[in-house]
Amino acid sequence: MALADESLPKAVELKRVSKSYAGTPPVNALSDVSISVSRGEFLGIIGASGSGKTTFLHIVGTLTNPTFGSVFINGLDTAGMSDRVLAGMRSKYIGFVFQEYFLLQGFTATENVENGLLYSGISASERRDRSEAMLERVGLSHRLTHLPNEMSGGEQQRVAIARALVHSPSFILADEPTGNLDSKNTESLMELLVSLNDEGTTMILITHDLDVAAMSKRQVTLRDGRILSDSYVQQGSVND
Amino acid sequence: MTDQFNNRPDIPVSHLGVLDIIRVGGSGLKTRRFRAVLSAIGITIGIATLVGILGLSESGSADLIKELDALGTNLLTVQAGEGFQAGQVSLPADAASMIKRIDPVYEVATISRVSGGVFRNDLIEDGRTRGITIFAGDLNLVKAQRGSLKAGAYLTDTTSEFPIVVLGAVAAERLGISEILGDQKIVVGDTWFTVGGILNPLHLAADLDRGAIIGYGAAEKFLDHDDPADVVYVRAYPEHVNDVRSVMAATVNPQNPEEVQVSRASDVLEARAAATTTFTSLFVGLGAVALLVGGVGIANVMVMAVIERRNEIGLRRALGATRFHIASQFLTESLLLSTIGGVTGILIGILATAVFTIIKDWILVIPGYAIMGGIISSILIGGIAGFYPALRAANLSPTEALRTK
Ligand SMILES: Nc1ncnc2c1ncn2[C@@H]1O[C@H](COP(=O)(O)OP(=O)(O)O)[C@@H](O)[C@H]1O
Ligand SMILES: [Mg+2]
Repeated sequence: MALADESLPKAVELKRVSKSYAGTPPVNALSDVSISVSRGEFLGIIGASGSGKTTFLHIVGTLTNPTFGSVFINGLDTAGMSDRVLAGMRSKYIGFVFQEYFLLQGFTATENVENGLLYSGISASERRDRSEAMLERVGLSHRLTHLPNEMSGGEQQRVAIARALVHSPSFILADEPTGNLDSKNTESLMELLVSLNDEGTTMILITHDLDVAAMSKRQVTLRDGRILSDSYVQQGSVND
Repeated sequence: MTDQFNNRPDIPVSHLGVLDIIRVGGSGLKTRRFRAVLSAIGITIGIATLVGILGLSESGSADLIKELDALGTNLLTVQAGEGFQAGQVSLPADAASMIKRIDPVYEVATISRVSGGVFRNDLIEDGRTRGITIFAGDLNLVKAQRGSLKAGAYLTDTTSEFPIVVLGAVAAERLGISEILGDQKIVVGDTWFTVGGILNPLHLAADLDRGAIIGYGAAEKFLDHDDPADVVYVRAYPEHVNDVRSVMAATVNPQNPEEVQVSRASDVLEARAAATTTFTSLFVGLGAVALLVGGVGIANVMVMAVIERRNEIGLRRALGATRFHIASQFLTESLLLSTIGGVTGILIGILATAVFTIIKDWILVIPGYAIMGGIISSILIGGIAGFYPALRAANLSPTEALRTK
């Protein structure tokens, strides 16, 4: 079991981050959130719908800027970074997994995973080799040339995970990855995420499913855009 | 803003090579082939029209130039014009011999209108002349016109003294005579004449196509006609045609030069070429309208694509695409659509022109500017049509793009 590695810069560090959306009245989606995530952690973010989980993920993923506060990725302050640099940060350090998979229809599993390397300046043949290897890692070596509509939901989400992992990011951001899966597929997907974390991948998993959250080592609860609790879970407590 | 993050090894920048831009741009078309074809049709029709009509026009004028070369532009037609006094004026009796004395003139042929009708036989005549005119003509008339015979032979020294007639192309058709079979006789004036030959159309003297041509000797002997020439056809050395033309009237009729009308037969053909150009402009205009409509169609499809593929845009931003990468993806898609449409149009245009020129027995000429123009205008249209949708896609915020409801 990999433990948090404190010798490297923090994967993610938020300092007093707030995010509000304009409107009448304005929506304070996140208020004064400070948190740091070390390499190797498995962080579960729990909260009711509308509590700010997706906003948190978009800010950590540099897809949107906070209204106040600072965001550090791998120890780098993202304030003032241009679109090109922020995109580069995402292409190298961050892997996204979404509830709806977002696979491109009409393209094979391998082609979809290759898109995870498309913007990082790697040759096409290396993109192919690494994508096939990653599909093998998530247990889909028999699905390389299948199209999304020829695969089950669980398989499609595995393709999406391979796409998020193929560029060896510093951490994975997963927004309700099991939200569209049945309990059997949810279980095997969580097993995959846990084993990937065991191999060293930092996981930030967003969910409103407490059973899913129970698989993480550290749980943060959001309510109305604020951190309500942040605690490390005793190993083995899931099956107590 | 100056970028303090440039050239720092720990800070990556996003890359997308040219080949990948084309590949990604094409990927949008791959999954929507039917719609791609529909949206490119407008451009295809527009470019095909332009290439086709320019090709036809060039092939047509190439044919006209060939025809002009064959017929020569050095034929002058001299006839009596309108006099100041009322009533018919005619050329002086010695007109032809006067003209022969002009130095650069090397060939002179005359015709003289003979009164009377031309009929198939003498039984069922109803007085209609079928618009056929009887002409007495010189022996070198066909040579001077660079005409040719469809059947039979033209008048000779001997046959011009006998009741032998040579029919113009239209006259022969109106009489229902298409070949020379044995002793085919028709009524010319009030005398039976044997048809000795049929002319092909004469492009420089359409009047003669409706004529029945007999020799001067025969005209005098059988139709009691001894009037002088009404029209003199003059060939002069090409470099002096204009000089000859300017002295013609005074030479023919020194007293009343204004009664002499001189024209250059090939001018009519050149006017025809000019008329074709007007016609061409009209179709070029139509093609341009089709191109405009095609461009609007592509813009429309691209705007729809940006709306429908919001999630794909969000995903690509999450995977590391910059705004510029997103813009170039959609711009490339639009350019591919219009260029594929344009190239197809060029091929169809060439094919259509080829078929037409084969039917018309013309030389196939596809002007290079039509092909270059087709390619350049499809690229321009694709660029303009794709510009706004690409900008819209690039400015979509990633969080907005990733929303599902
Ligand atoms: N683009 C937006 N504009 C306005 N309000 C938004 C926007 N995105 C999210 N919100 C609001 O911010 C709050 C948090 O939303 P979100 O982060 O999506 O929560 P969760 O993922 O936990 O359901 C909600 O009240 C939501 O309505
Ligand atoms: Mg959410």
